[in-house]
Amino acid sequence: MPHQIGVTIQAPVAVDRVPELRAWLAEISRKGLAEGPFDLAHVRGLHFARFYLLEETADLEGRSIPASLVFMSAVDAPLRRHLADLVDVAGEGMDQAFRHCTGYPGPDARRRAKIAWLRGHRVAASAFYVNTVGRGLEQIRQEAALRGALADYLDGRDWGGSSATEVRRELQAYVAGRADLAWAQRPPAPPSVFFRAREAVHMAAVPLALALLLPVLLLILPVWAVALRLEERRDRPVTERPALAHLEELSGYEDFVTQNPFAVVGFVKPSRLRQLTFRAVMFAIDYAVRHVYNHASLAGITTIHFARWVPLDGWRRMTFASDYDGAVEAYNDDFINIVWWGLNAAFGNGVGYPPTRWLLWGGAQYEQQFKATLRCHQIPVPAWYTAYPSLSAQNIENNAQIRAGLRGEMGPADAQRWLSLL
Amino acid sequence: MTARLNLDNIQGLVARGYRGLSYARFTVFAIPGQDAGHAALSWLLPRITTAGKFTADSALHVAFGAAGLRRMGLPDGVIAGFSAEFGEGMAGPDRSRFLGDVEGSSPRFWDWGAPQGSPADAVVLLYAATPEILGRRQAELAGCLAAAGIHQVTVLDTVELGDNEPFGFHDGISQPVIQGLSKGARGARALPAGEFVLGYPNAYDQFTDRPLLPASDDPRHLLPRDPAGSGAADLGRDGCYLVLRQLEQDVGAFWEYAAEATRRPDGSYDPQARTALAAKMVGRWPSGAPLIKAPDNDDPRLRDDNDFGYHHTDPDGLACPRGAHIRRMNPRDSLDPSPGSEQSLAVNDRHRLLRRGRPYGPGTAGTAADDDHAIRPARDDSSPARGGTGLHFVCLVASLARQFEFVQHTWLNNPNFNGLYDDTDPLAGSRDGRGATFTAPRRPVRRRYRGLPQFVRTRGGAYFFLPSISALRYLDQLPAGAVSAPAASPTTR
Repeated sequence: MPHQIGVTIQAPVAVDRVPELRAWLAEISRKGLAEGPFDLAHVRGLHFARFYLLEETADLEGRSIPASLVFMSAVDAPLRRHLADLVDVAGEGMDQAFRHCTGYPGPDARRRAKIAWLRGHRVAASAFYVNTVGRGLEQIRQEAALRGALADYLDGRDWGGSSATEVRRELQAYVAGRADLAWAQRPPAPPSVFFRAREAVHMAAVPLALALLLPVLLLILPVWAVALRLEERRDRPVTERPALAHLEELSGYEDFVTQNPFAVVGFVKPSRLRQLTFRAVMFAIDYAVRHVYNHASLAGITTIHFARWVPLDGWRRMTFASDYDGAVEAYNDDFINIVWWGLNAAFGNGVGYPPTRWLLWGGAQYEQQFKATLRCHQIPVPAWYTAYPSLSAQNIENNAQIRAGLRGEMGPADAQRWLSLL
Repeated sequence: MTARLNLDNIQGLVARGYRGLSYARFTVFAIPGQDAGHAALSWLLPRITTAGKFTADSALHVAFGAAGLRRMGLPDGVIAGFSAEFGEGMAGPDRSRFLGDVEGSSPRFWDWGAPQGSPADAVVLLYAATPEILGRRQAELAGCLAAAGIHQVTVLDTVELGDNEPFGFHDGISQPVIQGLSKGARGARALPAGEFVLGYPNAYDQFTDRPLLPASDDPRHLLPRDPAGSGAADLGRDGCYLVLRQLEQDVGAFWEYAAEATRRPDGSYDPQARTALAAKMVGRWPSGAPLIKAPDNDDPRLRDDNDFGYHHTDPDGLACPRGAHIRRMNPRDSLDPSPGSEQSLAVNDRHRLLRRGRPYGPGTAGTAADDDHAIRPARDDSSPARGGTGLHFVCLVASLARQFEFVQHTWLNNPNFNGLYDDTDPLAGSRDGRGATFTAPRRPVRRRYRGLPQFVRTRGGAYFFLPSISALRYLDQLPAGAVSAPAASPTTR
């Protein structure tokens, strides 16, 4: 199975094209991205995708930042195949979208020119969270079908009087007898050797480098902590509340299926200390999501399929985007109740975030300030695609465990535990 | 920290559900203008029951919607200090989708509260010990409203408050216990008053947002000052949000479904199995006994038992299914993070509702005692019945979003709740294309019930604010255009 990549494409929008782009996004919002002109349902290995518009704004020094159109996809590797699909399969839609952007080669340009343009407008994420690294779209779909087939098979009989082991054996035989489920008897293939080797090297190299730097870090850390605390003390509580019209626009795009798209954008605090802190935190998050939180849970949150932190405009701004299960209120509650420290470490370096203490405390612990901050900085996502609109991340993990339980020997207790997944 | 509540300034409905006042009627009305509103409020004010000592044979409460407060003369800038959900109202299209008020529950079909109907600006809730007293109080109220030229949008009758809700189950057992307000209950976790009354620290030890006015807008010092110390006049303190929803219950369909789904192989009905399935869907037996303690048979001795968790005794839901009504509406210790832990309970505590609903309409369900599945009218009710049978659902909260709406969306109507795939609340959930499955775990194989009909439909509803006595006095003396703009922004401790 392939590993997953987060592709982010950002392109400036010509000033006079912004109203037209807004109107087009509204139209696409009604049509959706699954079918023509985007036909994303046929883009290979695509889990989620979205478009959103970042309106023109001025940075903290008053310099103008032009409006830009952002496209994001969470997709199975390789990148080359995905970019080709975006032009070959979703080409008509991509042309419609990016014709509003300066420099787009246009619908009549050659295929290679379009691919090169998309490739050239990619923005690298500083961290990309994948609920379960290596679980590709095909696997998710197959395992959902497996669970459906087994559940239906169980429905068809009265199992009273059978032991759990007997029922499991029946289910194994049922799967063995169905050619279309033959794959389920084998474990899913791992990601490529190259990917695994790269990750293994990264996993070892980072702690090694830190160990070598430890003496220096130990000297710097106290100074850094005090300097940061002094800066923090100048932060003011958040008093801004989101405007009703903004809330209405956001909720107009939310809560249609199991998952929702989330996107926020904000400025990074401009001081050198904050910029440095932010990059260090992003480095840590990148490490954590690659090597620690890479299976079914982001530090205790089990409802996020994909999430990414993408620095924009040379790290002056940052956008965070995720595809998560359930409502935004529940999502924020998870942030506040479970990973407040992680949110604080990252967003605490953002302008307009509730004040933190020693980077990790405060911040998200101010429930309403935090919720208001996120809502104020949230960007409407008018066009969004999900490949599995009724599957929660928990469902997907459960399905994988059902498949895994088809193999090997099990005692009665384990067999019963496995049956309860169904 | 336990804050001392100003009971004489809080409307009594927060403190008590008036079990002794078995008769109730809720009058929803539109306020044509400020003069009419003031005429009504001046009449109502001295009649309102507070949370202080109570011995009377009737009680009266008044609550206002956002539009109602505007018509009373409160400027938009002040109303913006209430929560966004309150300002937006219950019946907008996005909110309807969020709350599951779609298809047959859509505001298009509501009897009241829909955008196209008369505005539900305010509601008066009347409670009385006897039908005669209720009738008298209601006539006085109707007289006052008529004199003020106020149009009654709807009068929601209720039936005599018994032990059971219309499906036939003992109800109202698990209520949050509130610090400084409730008498301590065994095994119950006392929640900070700020979860249900504004102006007191909530479960995060913070003050929930509420409208604060410049002190200069309250020269007569009618309002308490912001307890967080901003000096602002606190219009929200000692008040709370009141959610009113008319939920029509298809009692016949519920029991018929349970009876059909549990027929014996020879096709005959199995009343015991029928009641057992109904109990699985609810999580309690008709008597109220929780399945977690009485998994196989009803045990009326446990009718008020509320001292239990789920995770350690029943992690797989063999006794009480994960999707059962009471395990969704109050999951206790069964949810992430780390089920069974204090952290899980603490998360649960942030989503509690103080329920004050009353049943309406003729007839309630047969119960386990009945031999057949026929529905028999159990209440001899002489009050005029309109629009079927159900519950005038009332709940009081400090946060509509974190409490009522969260429970409604994330727990009740979420087909993926707690690892499930396609199960909304079997009793009260919406079945909008999804969610029509009920999963009852068993050994060795769970039983899946599919194609569950929708048993509960929303027939009306609105968000109200139940102001403190001082806030009502403030509203009462408000001349047109008296208040300028909100003073301070909400404060945090």
